[in-house]
Amino acid sequence: MSQYTLSREAKRRKGSLERKKTLVALSFIAPNFIGFALFTLIPVVIAVFMSMTEWNGGKLSDMHWVGLSNYEALFAVPQRYIDRLDNPNFFSILGLFFDKVDLGIALKNTVTYTLITVPLTLVCSIALALVLNKAVKGAVAFRAILFFPYVSSTVAICVCWNFMMMKNGPINQLLMLFGSTFNKTWTADSNMAIWAIIIVSVWKSMGYYMVIYLAALQGIPRELYEAATVDGANKWQQFTHITLPQLSPTTFFVSVMLVIGCFKVYDTVALMTAGGPGRATKMLVTYIIDVFNAFNYGSACAIAMVLLVLVLSVTLIQFRMEKKFSAD
Amino acid sequence: MKKLLALVLSAIMALSMVSFAAAEENVVLKVVAWDVNTTTYYAAQKEAFEASHPGITIEYIDVASQDYGTKASTMLAGGDTSDIFMVKAVPDILNWYNAGYAEPLNAYMEKDNYDVSGFVGMETGYRYDDQQAALPFRSDFWVLFYNKTLFDNAGVPYPTNDMTWEEYKDLAIKMTDPANNIYGCHYHTWLSAVVNWAVDDGVNTLVDGDYEDLKYFYDLYFALEDAGACMPYPEVSAAGLHYSGAFGNGNIAMLPMGYWYVSTLINNIKDGTYNVTDWGITAVPHKEDVPAGSSFGNLTGAMVNKASANKDAAWTYVAWLCGPEGAAATASTGNRPAWVSEDVAAVMSSVEGFPTDENSKQALLPTMVSIELPGHPKASEISTILNEEHSAIITREISVEDGIMNMNDRVAEVLGQ
Repeated sequence: MSQYTLSREAKRRKGSLERKKTLVALSFIAPNFIGFALFTLIPVVIAVFMSMTEWNGGKLSDMHWVGLSNYEALFAVPQRYIDRLDNPNFFSILGLFFDKVDLGIALKNTVTYTLITVPLTLVCSIALALVLNKAVKGAVAFRAILFFPYVSSTVAICVCWNFMMMKNGPINQLLMLFGSTFNKTWTADSNMAIWAIIIVSVWKSMGYYMVIYLAALQGIPRELYEAATVDGANKWQQFTHITLPQLSPTTFFVSVMLVIGCFKVYDTVALMTAGGPGRATKMLVTYIIDVFNAFNYGSACAIAMVLLVLVLSVTLIQFRMEKKFSAD
Repeated sequence: MKKLLALVLSAIMALSMVSFAAAEENVVLKVVAWDVNTTTYYAAQKEAFEASHPGITIEYIDVASQDYGTKASTMLAGGDTSDIFMVKAVPDILNWYNAGYAEPLNAYMEKDNYDVSGFVGMETGYRYDDQQAALPFRSDFWVLFYNKTLFDNAGVPYPTNDMTWEEYKDLAIKMTDPANNIYGCHYHTWLSAVVNWAVDDGVNTLVDGDYEDLKYFYDLYFALEDAGACMPYPEVSAAGLHYSGAFGNGNIAMLPMGYWYVSTLINNIKDGTYNVTDWGITAVPHKEDVPAGSSFGNLTGAMVNKASANKDAAWTYVAWLCGPEGAAATASTGNRPAWVSEDVAAVMSSVEGFPTDENSKQALLPTMVSIELPGHPKASEISTILNEEHSAIITREISVEDGIMNMNDRVAEVLGQ
């Protein structure tokens, strides 16, 4: 037994070696972590605190602790709307929340936007990657062209799309050829404005995710397809049984990035519709900016917390699902 | 020898005392302002004031324009003793007044029997709880720009300084000529360009929580849009069309816009960038029951800092700056002073490129100017709500009645009613 126990001296030496190793490791992490702590972690903690205060950005001594009342105010449905209901019940009041209350409207719009944009971008970028993965003539040029929107200025993109989606613009005229009767400027129509933003977002980001998928496609072992061909699998079966499962880690990564990006959508909205018409495209972030600009820093932080909870829970669910998928 | 020395010494002493006394008499006023080097009127104001007030020197403290509100607020919160703070935005001065940074000017004004008639009501924009928190020295209130060439070609008389909104509507429709792509009028996308006229009566405001008075102007706008007299809002908005280029293009007969557009117009015509060559201004139209020459506008002003050690001298400067003499200095650089008088109008109309007709000169003499969006603790929230509902009404996504009901409901919530 005694030969296995380290002498005191050896123990001390081992301890100091470990400490040294830890210090070296910490020193590697430190530059990044200090930056992260200073500019992300501490501000987030302060924001959590500020969401429970009332402050207009004046003197620090004017900051009041208000507990959860900022949150209450955000979720409250004004009594005057409830009074107008014929039959007030939980569902009709919930309907009012999503119809009349700023936070409800912003939540509804952001979730709608995310639910449509994420799958649409995924499908478009996989399809493009599949097409361009083949040795088509000019594939390199096409890849460059499709990547171009991602590196272009959002302002320029939005100005161009705004023009194209005008009342007598090329898109409406094209749709008319296919029998569409829609004859309004997209961004000035309550129902179409959000579609205008979705289309621009998908168009802008699909090239980027296409590149990620291209890399993933090239990493799929050729033997799998050969074996499948020998087994008599057709192209579609190969796609659903080999390509898609092999792409699933990439799809997971891309969808997490997309969901987070979608919840934080701001620039496209600000440039194309400014949240209008009315509140038809008011998103969580545009809402935060409005409240922030009114110097209601407490309320603005509270909305940011709602956004944080939303993004965090969706991401956690995605991680869960990923674990389940990879276990299968 | 000793006597001589004593004499010389005492002479030196006496001299130094004199010079010391003179130095003490010279007050240096520190004025916090924005973009001092690129804004033409600051130098003109300083020069004219110092020439007429020996013993007071003006020293500007320059703050970048886009950070002005934040930076000046921080300075005041930190106990800065600069004597005068220029006021860029109405919400700022309201905050400063509420925080106790503004020296109320009432006592000084009473003592000097200060004449406010030239402000034609604008000074009330800085008056809170009957305390005058600041005085205005600039105001780009709104006027009606018109393209004389288009009126001449159509053989229609020019708009006048006394025109009702109905007359304006008829005139705009009359001037519209779709065959030649000529619009009778043009509206910029701002809420203020379309319906802010409701405050011209001096009674209504955009923060009072009652927006029924906007209905008249929405109906007026839709009548014009339906008649094809103006470009439809969705297109102006989606195309990001700026009013300056639109009017400059030469196919718009009338454009209600802030006075600041005058200098843009003059410069661009001089450069040859605009198709418009011959233009004029008149007072904006008015409702039947509102006197001719009523308009609205924004203010730029000056506040005396409560922490200043030279409040009397600071008041002397503010009183001068905002009054007729300061106005003349401001006007000499082509900028619109808040003070309204024949003298100011004469200086302004003598600027090269300003229309030479008598009506345009008369348009420089408004009878009453209301505040576009008055100081109010909730002004920013209210403005967001009004703009949101405005964008739904003007794209016809909801009816005028529903939109105004939403405005009333939502602002009532903000006001806690």
